[in-house]
Amino acid sequence: MRLLVLLRPYAALLAVLGGLVVLFGALSNHFLSPLTLRTLAGQIPPLVVVSVGMTFVLIIAGIDLSVGAVVGLSSAVMGVLMVQAGWSLPLSLAGALLAGAACGAINGGISVRWRIPSFIVTLGMLEMARGGAYLVTNSQTQYVGAGVQVLSAPVAGLPFAFWMALAVVAVAQVVLTRTVFGRHMLATGGNREAARLAGVTPGRVEFAVFVIAGLLSALGGVFQMGYLGSADPNAGIGMELAAIAAVVIGGTSLMGGQGSVIATFLGVLIIAVLQLGLAQLGVSEPMKRVVTGGVIVIAVIADVYRRKGD
Amino acid sequence: MHVLRTVVLLTLLFMAVGCRPATEGPERPTVALVMKSLANEFFVTMADGARAHQADNAATYELIVNGIKDESDLSQQVALVEQMMARGVDAIVLAPADSRALVPIVKRAQDAGITVINIDNKLDAATLADVGASVPFVGPDNRAGARAVGEVVAAELAQGDEVAIIGGIPTAFNAQQRQAGFEDAMQAAGIDVVSVQSGSWEQAKGNQVAAALLSEHPNLKALLCSNDNMALGAAAAVQQAGKTGEVLIAGFDNISAIQRLLADGQVIATADQHGDQLAVYGIEAALQIITGAAAPADQQTPVDVVLAD
Repeated sequence: MRLLVLLRPYAALLAVLGGLVVLFGALSNHFLSPLTLRTLAGQIPPLVVVSVGMTFVLIIAGIDLSVGAVVGLSSAVMGVLMVQAGWSLPLSLAGALLAGAACGAINGGISVRWRIPSFIVTLGMLEMARGGAYLVTNSQTQYVGAGVQVLSAPVAGLPFAFWMALAVVAVAQVVLTRTVFGRHMLATGGNREAARLAGVTPGRVEFAVFVIAGLLSALGGVFQMGYLGSADPNAGIGMELAAIAAVVIGGTSLMGGQGSVIATFLGVLIIAVLQLGLAQLGVSEPMKRVVTGGVIVIAVIADVYRRKGD
Repeated sequence: MHVLRTVVLLTLLFMAVGCRPATEGPERPTVALVMKSLANEFFVTMADGARAHQADNAATYELIVNGIKDESDLSQQVALVEQMMARGVDAIVLAPADSRALVPIVKRAQDAGITVINIDNKLDAATLADVGASVPFVGPDNRAGARAVGEVVAAELAQGDEVAIIGGIPTAFNAQQRQAGFEDAMQAAGIDVVSVQSGSWEQAKGNQVAAALLSEHPNLKALLCSNDNMALGAAAAVQQAGKTGEVLIAGFDNISAIQRLLADGQVIATADQHGDQLAVYGIEAALQIITGAAAPADQQTPVDVVLAD
């Protein structure tokens, strides 16, 4: 009973997800297999952590269009540090995270200091970070191989990065619902002026959230590299849209003030299951895009009904 | 009628000469290289090759290199060609981002007396005929290259084996040619192509599609990828599915990142189109036409198969 109560807010998302799994299981020959589960667990960590950051940003009524480019930049930095500078994995990883945090700090700092909408600032960062990724790699894919693939080595049957991503989801949900910082985020996003009058420093909260989003994007870049074994300067192109879709499917409002990290995680799962399932069915590229767009819209409608029922 | 045409041509000629900035020293032709994405390693190599060639032949011609932000930014490429026309260049060597959309502007450039050479991605013959233009194409035969790579894979397989193709962006002519080349080779060897899907030229997308194919077709013996980035993604997928050695992987382009996988046999073959020389071939063809040393004609450039060590 207790479990049912806990799952209640996620019923609509779980229903969509379950529906997709049943549908693909019926239509394809080998969708319901351990290999599919392992593949999903390997593929989703980058989008999961990036979407967690995006959830925070949407909660404070901002938006971050640069996350995909920061994924590209941070994996490019890490690739160059490992391949060309010969740095060890931990040091290169730190370098990648630093690059991501710096991008986030610039995003947050500029939008807070000059009260510029984050839409514009992060659009600028999208260009700068992508350009930076091409510059540091000289537009060449950096192949690292086993040295970085330890990040996706299996632990208890599933990739290490997957467990890390789950941990990020859990920590972020606790931060959002059980800490002062979480309440400040919700207050800032709900009504900035009211939050300020209540003693919150909205600028500081917003700055911190953008740094977190930058860090998590960099972590996404690291995970992507750990999975693929090489750093592609084109990594993460269009990922901002997938992340926003996942967050919105999860019911986080674009207007700010409310959201759930767990629901975002389910949103990521829906997108990932859809993409993998359509590929297994051998659906053509244009059709994949039509169906993916349709499911995003349907999932959001389902969520609206769920909330009306509350 | 003839008189009128002569007058118009002479006027255009004077205008072209008049517009040209005064240069010191002997007159050298200016060649504009208009590329696709300079974010793509392949085109960066191509541009570097062209710059090196110009440095060695600085007395012969001047070079302007331009590229667009990403491969689908058509309007920007059209604008670039217009800018080059306004600058009064003598020749434009163009790697069109779209084989149809660039045809009208190419026609206008030719009408303005500029020599145009088409490299890399061939302009659509029917569209060219439609506007009454003819543009020499200097470039590799992607279909023959992919076929040759496919034959290396086929030699390792038996009749009736299952393979899949991970293609590029389906609207791109070279993606279609490479896919056709792979299919030619498989058909000739009696091998069954069970699925053809697009990996959008990208590593992560190639990986996603490869992983799905490996799940859905457990008997898959090879993945033929239309570029090396997708082959890198496919190699990661094969490894993660625990099928290293059981599933052959082939790529295309011979980029630097693929070398380690060729060395340890994870990738069996790729094709080298000598990307660094592609623009150079086009520039040389343009110079020959300008100086009257050669008539405009299509030229095929070499594609070599690179095998695992």
